[in-house]
Amino acid sequence: MAFWQRLQTYWRRRQQLRKSWRAQRYIALDLETSGLDPKSDQVLAIGWVTIRPPVLDYASGQYFVTQAQPELKQSPVVHGLVQKDFAAAEAPEEALKQLAHELEGAVLVCHHVQFDWQFLQRFAKAHGVRLQPLAKYDTLTFEAHRLKQQQHHIARGSLTLKACRERFRLPEYTAHHAFSDALACGELFLAQAYQYAGNADAPLKELLK
Amino acid sequence: MQPDFAELNRFLLDCPPFDQLSSEQRQWAAGQIKAAYLNEHNVDELFSAHSPALYIVRSGGFDLLAPDGTLIERLESHDLFGFPSLLTGRDVVNKLKVIEDGIVYILSAATFDQLRQHSRAFEHYFIRAHEQRLLSQQGQRSAPFSPQNAPSSPATPDFSRAEGRAALSNASGDSLQCLVGEVVTRAPVGLPSTATIQEAAQRMRDEKISSVLVVDEGKLVGILTDRDLRNRVVAQGLDYNIHVNAVMTQAPATVRGGQTLLDALTLMTQENIHHIPVLDDNEQPLGMLTNTDLMRQQKSEPVMLISALNKAPTRAALVQEAQHIPEYMHRFGLRLNDAAAVGRLLASLTDTMTRKLIDFYEREHGVAPAAYVWLAFGSQGREDQTLSSDQDNGLLLANELNEQQLAWFAGLGDYVCEGLAECGVPKCPGNIMASNPDCRRTKAGWLERFTSWTESPTPKALMYCQIFFDSRNVRGSKRLYQAYREDVAKLGKSEFFLGNLARLQANVQVPLGLFNRFRGTESGKDSDLIDIKRHGLALINDIVRLYSLHAGLTEPRTLTRLQLLQDSKLLNRKDNQALAEAWQFLTQLRLQHQLAVWGTAKPKNALDPDELSTLTRRQLKSAFRILKDCQQGVSLKFGRSG
Repeated sequence: MAFWQRLQTYWRRRQQLRKSWRAQRYIALDLETSGLDPKSDQVLAIGWVTIRPPVLDYASGQYFVTQAQPELKQSPVVHGLVQKDFAAAEAPEEALKQLAHELEGAVLVCHHVQFDWQFLQRFAKAHGVRLQPLAKYDTLTFEAHRLKQQQHHIARGSLTLKACRERFRLPEYTAHHAFSDALACGELFLAQAYQYAGNADAPLKELLK
Repeated sequence: MQPDFAELNRFLLDCPPFDQLSSEQRQWAAGQIKAAYLNEHNVDELFSAHSPALYIVRSGGFDLLAPDGTLIERLESHDLFGFPSLLTGRDVVNKLKVIEDGIVYILSAATFDQLRQHSRAFEHYFIRAHEQRLLSQQGQRSAPFSPQNAPSSPATPDFSRAEGRAALSNASGDSLQCLVGEVVTRAPVGLPSTATIQEAAQRMRDEKISSVLVVDEGKLVGILTDRDLRNRVVAQGLDYNIHVNAVMTQAPATVRGGQTLLDALTLMTQENIHHIPVLDDNEQPLGMLTNTDLMRQQKSEPVMLISALNKAPTRAALVQEAQHIPEYMHRFGLRLNDAAAVGRLLASLTDTMTRKLIDFYEREHGVAPAAYVWLAFGSQGREDQTLSSDQDNGLLLANELNEQQLAWFAGLGDYVCEGLAECGVPKCPGNIMASNPDCRRTKAGWLERFTSWTESPTPKALMYCQIFFDSRNVRGSKRLYQAYREDVAKLGKSEFFLGNLARLQANVQVPLGLFNRFRGTESGKDSDLIDIKRHGLALINDIVRLYSLHAGLTEPRTLTRLQLLQDSKLLNRKDNQALAEAWQFLTQLRLQHQLAVWGTAKPKNALDPDELSTLTRRQLKSAFRILKDCQQGVSLKFGRSG
């Protein structure tokens, strides 16, 4: 049975990837973590928002503080989190279940998606939740390709979320917070996708290349 | 759980009228917003899928076009659109064209209605915006500079005029903003013109007053003062039984009860008089305003300044007093509700200094050997002078003067222009000054000059001749000036000339957007700053002058010209009012800016749009839209001939 189910999932996914990128649902997401190593560091907060191109719906915005007792390696100010936020932390299972549900059939969008995805997977596994997005889109990789194609020398610091947004003349956001970074990443994704595909009904898989 | 939308909240706080909502209302609204990434590929589809809705531009640039393709508005960050359909229920007919991709927030009709029901301020803003009344007086109660960039002064500019001004006058610290009608409490003391001089003197003694109104059938016909009794009666040895109308001042200057004390002070300084009759709106005498009434406002700096200038015994003393003007005007300007009053006051100070300098010259070189007029042109003539305005003046001379007499006037021109420069009114780089022989002419000489402009103008001459049509008589023969001014007005009506002026004005580029890359003006290319004089105030002055020339008006002041043009068939009332509001708004904005850059090397007439508050930016765009419309109107009405 497991085999047939996997085949079916694979088939559906293939079909879905062939559909226009504009007909898809995207989850732009950002994590705050206590450090850079997924093996030893913790997820402190998760923020995400749903996008149906070209619209990003604020009502779909979610934000969870997931860690009641943080071991901060960095200054908490960097994350915009203070002690009282941690006191308000909820059981991470709730947040993860909701995320798993929303990611079903949707594309996960992050700035440096490998980083977030490694943390997310470990975190979800530890709480017995499986996350299965349709696909993953990385605004950072996309931008690196884009700049290379324009034969730009990629200068240090030119691939930060802020720098990428500036090139598309997107508004400057000052807050550093999982939710506002998720929004910022989501807007960057829209700018990249429209610049790449315009109104052509390019299949999603082409955008993911 | 729901995030706090901090970034969006911060934006909405800087996006009127969302700043007027309670924080709960704003938070709720933030949660209802959909953000769309708008570009040429999805604009039509998105617009039709969501309309009617309120759209808020977050980034990018878009042109709102009427169905016939004409540009209604260039939309930039923080601009709102789509609300007219929400308010009227009419279908959306306008189109959007993308200039630069960007993010637009969408607020649904249901959300908009909720906010409208729960916040009056929110509702009112949109009604005013829909009626295009953002510049009208009630709509202007905003600080022109955004909080983080506000000039370091305690001033909260408040644009409200007559309404509420009396209440504000104490709080804002200058009693000169009181209305004349509030100061004049005593009932008017009047006599018929057939009363004898002795009766008049007796009445003045009984009432303990120094001047009396002469009123026939409820209408003011003259004024008689202590000084008249001395100079015109006693000194002349006249019979006390002749009628007052033989010695009174006929058709005297007057003020209205609804004008401010500052207006009255300016007028009295200009006319060099100490008593001024006050009339109501139906021309009925309300009373008399005297120097003493004004002197009671002793704390008022302009009064002290003017009296110090008037009392200066020597040229050196005058120059010394004049050094205080910038500092006085700076302090005074910060407290003032009415920016136009600053221009009027500065012009009257320049008038006063000019007259004093003429007096000093006469003391050294004897009185004028012939009739003449000291002419003020340009901003002094229009009474919209600023601290950075330079001199524009000239002399109108009697005919057939001999060489000695001409030399006297040449000396006068040099003396006064030099003196004004020492007093801080810079010399004119274009040499439009009475010290220049070319600006000392007889009436025929001046008319010859005007004729060359009106009949065969070079483009350069056309541009600079316009300020000569904004003239006032500062000192000299009223009759000579009037004859001259009426003849100039006749020349100014030439259709050929008006056509040339109209074409010149059509070349002035009015900015479409405020931010450099959306402005669409040539001059904006190299600069992030917007020149509100060149692209704004000067253009309004030019447009209004054109209509005034056509109507043959001799009045130089822009706002008064507009009042006189109220019944014009060429300029409809709506445009007339819109021009007046745009002029007042830009004058206020310029004053605020000049006070803010006070003492720095920053440009005096150019603004950085980033330093303006959102509401002021919208108002500035609204003013530019009015200008653009009126500019097109001028082209249509005058541009064809010639």
